[in-house]
Amino acid sequence: MTCTVNGVPRTADDVWEGESLLYVLRERLGLPGSKNACEQGECGSCTVYLDGTAVCSCLVAAGQAVGREVVTVEGLSGGPDAEPGPVQRAFLAAGAVQCGFCTPGLIVAVDDLLSRNPHPTDPQIREALAGNLCRCTGYEKIMEAVRLAAGGQA
Amino acid sequence: MERGEKGTTQNMRSISYSRVADVATAIATVTADPDAAYLAGGTTKVDMLRIYAEPSQRLVDINDLPINHIELQPDGAVRLGALARMNDVAMSPIVAQRYPLLAEALVLGASAQLRNMASMGGNMLQRTRCSYFRDHEAACNKRVPGSGCSALTGVNRGHAVLGTSEHCIAAHPSDAAVALSALDAVIHVQNRDGHHAYAIDDFFLAPEDTPEREHPLQHGDLITAIEIPPLPMARDSLYLKVRDRESYEFALVSVALALRVEGGAVAEVRMALGGVATKPWRARRAEHALLGRPATHEHFLHAAREETADAVPRSMNGFKIELARRTMVRALETVTARGGTP
Amino acid sequence: MTTIPFTEPLGTAGSCAFSVAGTTENAQDIESLAGAAPAGPARIADRVRRSGQVAQVRPADATRPTAQVRVGARPTGLDVRVGGGVGSSPQRPDGRLKVSGEFAFSSDLWADDMLWGATLRSPYPRAKLTGLDLTAAVALPGVYAVLTAQDVPGRRVYGLEHADQPVLAGTEIRYQGEPIAIVAADHPETARRAASLIKADYEVLAPVTDPDAALLPGSDRVHADRPNLLRHVPIRKGDPAATAPVVVTGEYQVGMQDQAFLGPESGLAVPAEDGGVDLYIATQWLHVDQQQVAACLGLPQEKVRLTLAGVGGAFGAREDLSMQVHACLLALRTGRPVKMVYGREESFFGHVHRHPARLRYEHGADRDGRLVYVKASIVLDGGAYASSTGAVVANAATLGIGPYDVPNVVMDAYGLYTNNPPCGAMRGFGAVQACFAYESQMDRLAAAVGLDPVEVRLRNALTTGDRMPTGQLVEGPAPVAELLRLVRERPQAPAGADFPPGGTANTTRGEGVVRGVGYAIGIKNVCFSEGFDDFATARVRLELVGGRPAALVHTAAAEVGQGLVTVQAQIVRTELGVEQVTIAPADTSVGSAGSSSASRQTYMTGGAVRAACLALRARLAARLTALGRAPSTSDNDKKGPFLSAEEWVGALEAGALEETVEWRHRPTHALDPETGQGDAHVQYAFAAHRATVDVDVELGLVKVVEIATAQDVGKAVNPQAVAGQIQGGTAQGLGLALMEEIQVVDGMVRNPSFTDYLLPTIMDMPPMRLDVLELADPHSPYGLRGVGEPPTISSTPAVVAAIRAATGAALTRVPVRPEHIVGA
Repeated sequence: MTCTVNGVPRTADDVWEGESLLYVLRERLGLPGSKNACEQGECGSCTVYLDGTAVCSCLVAAGQAVGREVVTVEGLSGGPDAEPGPVQRAFLAAGAVQCGFCTPGLIVAVDDLLSRNPHPTDPQIREALAGNLCRCTGYEKIMEAVRLAAGGQA
Repeated sequence: MERGEKGTTQNMRSISYSRVADVATAIATVTADPDAAYLAGGTTKVDMLRIYAEPSQRLVDINDLPINHIELQPDGAVRLGALARMNDVAMSPIVAQRYPLLAEALVLGASAQLRNMASMGGNMLQRTRCSYFRDHEAACNKRVPGSGCSALTGVNRGHAVLGTSEHCIAAHPSDAAVALSALDAVIHVQNRDGHHAYAIDDFFLAPEDTPEREHPLQHGDLITAIEIPPLPMARDSLYLKVRDRESYEFALVSVALALRVEGGAVAEVRMALGGVATKPWRARRAEHALLGRPATHEHFLHAAREETADAVPRSMNGFKIELARRTMVRALETVTARGGTP
Repeated sequence: MTTIPFTEPLGTAGSCAFSVAGTTENAQDIESLAGAAPAGPARIADRVRRSGQVAQVRPADATRPTAQVRVGARPTGLDVRVGGGVGSSPQRPDGRLKVSGEFAFSSDLWADDMLWGATLRSPYPRAKLTGLDLTAAVALPGVYAVLTAQDVPGRRVYGLEHADQPVLAGTEIRYQGEPIAIVAADHPETARRAASLIKADYEVLAPVTDPDAALLPGSDRVHADRPNLLRHVPIRKGDPAATAPVVVTGEYQVGMQDQAFLGPESGLAVPAEDGGVDLYIATQWLHVDQQQVAACLGLPQEKVRLTLAGVGGAFGAREDLSMQVHACLLALRTGRPVKMVYGREESFFGHVHRHPARLRYEHGADRDGRLVYVKASIVLDGGAYASSTGAVVANAATLGIGPYDVPNVVMDAYGLYTNNPPCGAMRGFGAVQACFAYESQMDRLAAAVGLDPVEVRLRNALTTGDRMPTGQLVEGPAPVAELLRLVRERPQAPAGADFPPGGTANTTRGEGVVRGVGYAIGIKNVCFSEGFDDFATARVRLELVGGRPAALVHTAAAEVGQGLVTVQAQIVRTELGVEQVTIAPADTSVGSAGSSSASRQTYMTGGAVRAACLALRARLAARLTALGRAPSTSDNDKKGPFLSAEEWVGALEAGALEETVEWRHRPTHALDPETGQGDAHVQYAFAAHRATVDVDVELGLVKVVEIATAQDVGKAVNPQAVAGQIQGGTAQGLGLALMEEIQVVDGMVRNPSFTDYLLPTIMDMPPMRLDVLELADPHSPYGLRGVGEPPTISSTPAVVAAIRAATGAALTRVPVRPEHIVGA
């Protein structure tokens, strides 16, 4: 199967057609940043962009991504040595990262939110992120991180 | 015990995938193969594959079909292509202005990530969350006809109290279908032999003694569109959802309501219930009880009682009857209080 | 190895004996093997954090002039400070990797030629396994091994307190989901399919599911060779026949909560050339895993080497083994690396849960609300296997009357075997269940004597010098009254909230909505209790890197998200003045650190790292003296660096220095089996909550509007992490109050998914107001007090008390659902 991932054309061999996009990213393309916390669309930890739209990659059949553009959390920073993006820096500054398992999905979801709405209100932030579960933080520092990334005060 | 030979991916369940670009090919492909199934957004289908609900399957991806438009028809009806995404429909000004109850039901129905992927047609075929339906060890007439219904005496807190039978009490999961039910939507279906249109009330089947049949579709039938007739009073309509937490979660009770009050009396009303019934539940008894009566708490409560008069509680879900009544009253009062349509 | 057995107090808050680390100029140099690259310039952050730490200073109790009140650091810019010592909030060393998706969690591991494991589990809670036919599974191409109980070469059972849990079931099935067989195949789908092709025959038996009934003499035994009563802890204090003019009674229930960490159970086992195995695993305690895995594999411990892989949360659920032995068995049998990753549903069957409890209380008090006696009986359902039930029972018993001074106590706590899912460790264990009951009782008492709920608590508040029901003297600060006052004095939440009850779902425009406020306070023991030999090991190595001193810290302590890696580096910077600190991956090549549980790891591994640093300081001084260069540090200047740049070169150019320290807290003692008397605990920790809720009393919906919380942490080693623990712990308590419960019927779990087991979302959590007290414990490193568990304990009863205040409903069971409020 061939698709564009983080701007680069990628081909995965031997893909069984029952595999999800999440599995292909994690196990066949070496991009384990998207996470597998529920694989049922409830937790948002696998959130990626598919043709520019944020989706749960666990519920996308591998074939559905063929020929499409996929952007994962790995694609939101310029690479291992590059400076993290503003959303990522905000998560670090706010202390919004504990175990970090929800973080990649949240980073993509926040990136998506801020691209549509650069200055969200608190209720808008909560509504937009209600599909992303976090078990460590109680969400307070995630709220702070989003406010920070949006350029406001935490 | 062990073995050492190299295996290959050919040893897994037989699942294949192909894409089609036009409706005729899609229908021909699926109709010809009993194991074939349409793959739209995938948010239900991929999950069902993962939990082994479908052992083998030929997935026919229909996402490239040109049936994803949201169109205002000359007669004022709105036609939603079956592949229109839930989020696109919810955000469409055509829908949000004319049918806010549908836009609200869609937004309340799933997280942004799911709404972005899930299609309107797929939502009509969403499967129940009954835990016995998904548990292969449990008796479930919907999954294995004739095996029994574990929910009758099991954990049935989330189950239906209306439209149930002794064979199945699974609640219908969709929010959007409840709103569409209040709107008298029409489901357009195409198959090898041509086109069929189902009134939404005829599309969703109560379980009776065949709970495995949830709708009249035959293998190969493809939902192509959902058409919503014009309904001016729906501009001030409401979808009210009671659930166990503040965000995405199936309804304990939901009410889709469009109401027109004239001179203090109910001039026009459409109401449907979710979360409490085995299918999107058009509250016709309540509508009948309301029509022409004063728009007051007392009459609202009477109508709500009428609607739930035949409700059948089970061991854990009796509370839903009273909750449904209160929720109907709350919805009626909310729309009345904000003025209704002129 | 230097062993410091019950070390003398190492210092108290605010009196760091040596240098405070690091200026940020060197921040770019900080790196860590576990995490790493420095994040951007730290220039602005330095200023922000210093102000942020004392963002709000509130007047403390006048009788405690040393008290310092803080809230967690709040950043106002994007820049992140990388370095920093004790009391600061530097960036997590693993933070960069975690935000970029590059951090390797246990489910992300991969090896050449790797196989995938899968598990066949029993669908029945109680059965006899009468036959297993593996033929079809073995015949499936791509399958490399199918193993059953017969293939376990060593001890066939494991367990934290009692080895009673089979690696794979033999003939007896004791809970739904019990592992029966394991498969290795070249694709996870093939492995799962092979497991489903195993034909298992069962003789299904009626499960023992009611813990009260399981206690009766005639009950079926869950384990044929022992009674269903796993542990009974009685506590007797004062006069058992004491009477009082005011008596309130209550019976309460706590549902089964799941830890619901997001990172599923997973790991990678790699067979080694020496016949042993290397296991990369997400766990809370590497060494206790190692002991159990080695015993089950029949291998000497040194041939089973564990390395901590990235841990996606734990909360107690990774204290017991899950797939550890299974993956190793498959790897050793196939000679290939084997990865196992549970899906979410399997995860619900793959780890223990919080004990459901029935609690019966009677409180007797004077008419002025002063407690005369408490009588209580607590029954905790341990499920099929012991896990840590014994410790849970002891906590429930010893902490079961709460942080109150009560002269007469009759307490009995019981832990039971049943055929329900095994229960064990979860954040706050034992204390959580009891707190819901005793705080509900305190509210009933307040009503009975006509007092404000806070006032009745203040009148009975435990304080320094009081004795617990166990007879243990409460030493050091016990600011129960102060914490209660802090949450009470917080300004009340303004009317309205971001969302009404029901959220965005059009449920109300205000009609039916009633506000309620509730209070609760809890107590928790920190570290391991009852005479357990509790220790942590740390190795710190100093050497010159590029002409500058660098420290490498090596422990086996599990970073589970709490920020332990950050704290270890902070301690080294503070104690040695070395800016460049690397945290080595945690593994079993260094001594045990004990578990990342019981709120103990900053205390214990932090204490061990600190002790190793102190030992290194002595060695550095000796080296310099031997070189004829008196160290410039004799003044112990708190501000200056420990050594000058030249002194560092002088001290280390002869070679690296390394110290390994095994560090212990002061000893604890067993409880008397008849009276429950004994100094069982090391340290007590306290937190209070005030919950404000809006309840739609007609539709049964609750919106928690705000939670104010106050906690004494002794010393906020990392204020930002402290705030994160308090907020996250509070959220788990809110979840138990309102939505979280594993539904078990006839021993069967009905909701093993995140669709049906509800976790609080960002919509459900309110803003939280924090007051953090720093009242030093004279016995602990830096005076710190364990932070992780207390916030989970009192948040549940505070939320429920607030709902009661709004509705008048009795609400004796958690979670509280709409039907309990609607009353229909």
